[in-house]
Amino acid sequence: MKKSDDLDTRLKIAKSKLESSEIKTDRKKGVFLGNAFKLGTELVAAVAVGSIIGFILDNWFGTKPLLIILFFLFGSAAGIYNVIKAAKKMQENKE
Amino acid sequence: MATNPMHQFNVYKIGPEIKINGIDLSFTNASLFMLISGIFISLFLLLGTKDRKIVPGKFQLMSEMLYNFISKMISDTAGKKAKPYFSFIFSLFIFVLFCNMVGMLPYSFTVTSHIIVTLAFAMFIFIGVTILGFVIHGFKYLKIFVPSGVPMVLLPIIMIIEIISYLSRPVSLSVRLFANMMAGHTMLKVFGGFVISLGLVAGWLPLTFSVALTGLEILVAFLQAYVFAILTCIYLNDALNLHH
Repeated sequence: MKKSDDLDTRLKIAKSKLESSEIKTDRKKGVFLGNAFKLGTELVAAVAVGSIIGFILDNWFGTKPLLIILFFLFGSAAGIYNVIKAAKKMQENKE
Repeated sequence: MATNPMHQFNVYKIGPEIKINGIDLSFTNASLFMLISGIFISLFLLLGTKDRKIVPGKFQLMSEMLYNFISKMISDTAGKKAKPYFSFIFSLFIFVLFCNMVGMLPYSFTVTSHIIVTLAFAMFIFIGVTILGFVIHGFKYLKIFVPSGVPMVLLPIIMIIEIISYLSRPVSLSVRLFANMMAGHTMLKVFGGFVISLGLVAGWLPLTFSVALTGLEILVAFLQAYVFAILTCIYLNDALNLHH
């Protein structure tokens, strides 16, 4: 059984090597690209959702243009807030 | 037929029309390609786990690497508590990945380039995570809408913004995947059309572009599956570890 023991130790060494550095540097590029895609849609989606909520509430209460304008602004704020949150998370991961 | 770049996204029925209670359940090309991806996934994982050796073969190595990749991603983003949801995130990732990759084959159909498919995924995740949050934390889960350290005057506005931001999750999750896949495939088709219409004289230029774009699209196909899975992990993390 000497052979398999030898293999076990070699596997362990290889695994620790893998975990330490290689994977991280390899994956970093992909993560950045993914983050770039993320930020764009995050900003737009919140504006869209805000406007839709405003539109629905307008139809309910019959206050046609008022709430959609208000919720459009809220949606924009939420979009920017989302982006700030995502950017903060990116910075945390970097350190 | 081939000149319209949007033609590739048409859904048509294959075989007889099946209607149950007025709901159309016919077998379409979309269902066919979902089935094909499912078969590919099963084949891939069955080959990978068929003979478990100490020194792994090609398929075993690939499936083990995939397993490690997902398990590391989950522990990095959602922590130890998310371990029970590994199988869900793994199946989600591998299904989106294989749908994207099968879509890259010529003459195939990209299931994930339809918003209804991606929205169904995203709504399932969104509703599931919300229910999970309420089950684990009870009504305390509503705290995620009330960030700490905000003055009372601003609280109502911040709460509305937080709620909109929470509701925008499924939209951004689904639109990202769908838009990337659709835009990429349309672009490939447009450049392919240029090759034909410019002919032998100048057709070489768009041909090189479409070769490069194919490489980019494969990257995007992988990346979008990865982003989809990692965002699911992040949402899961918010539901499991409440710390606002």
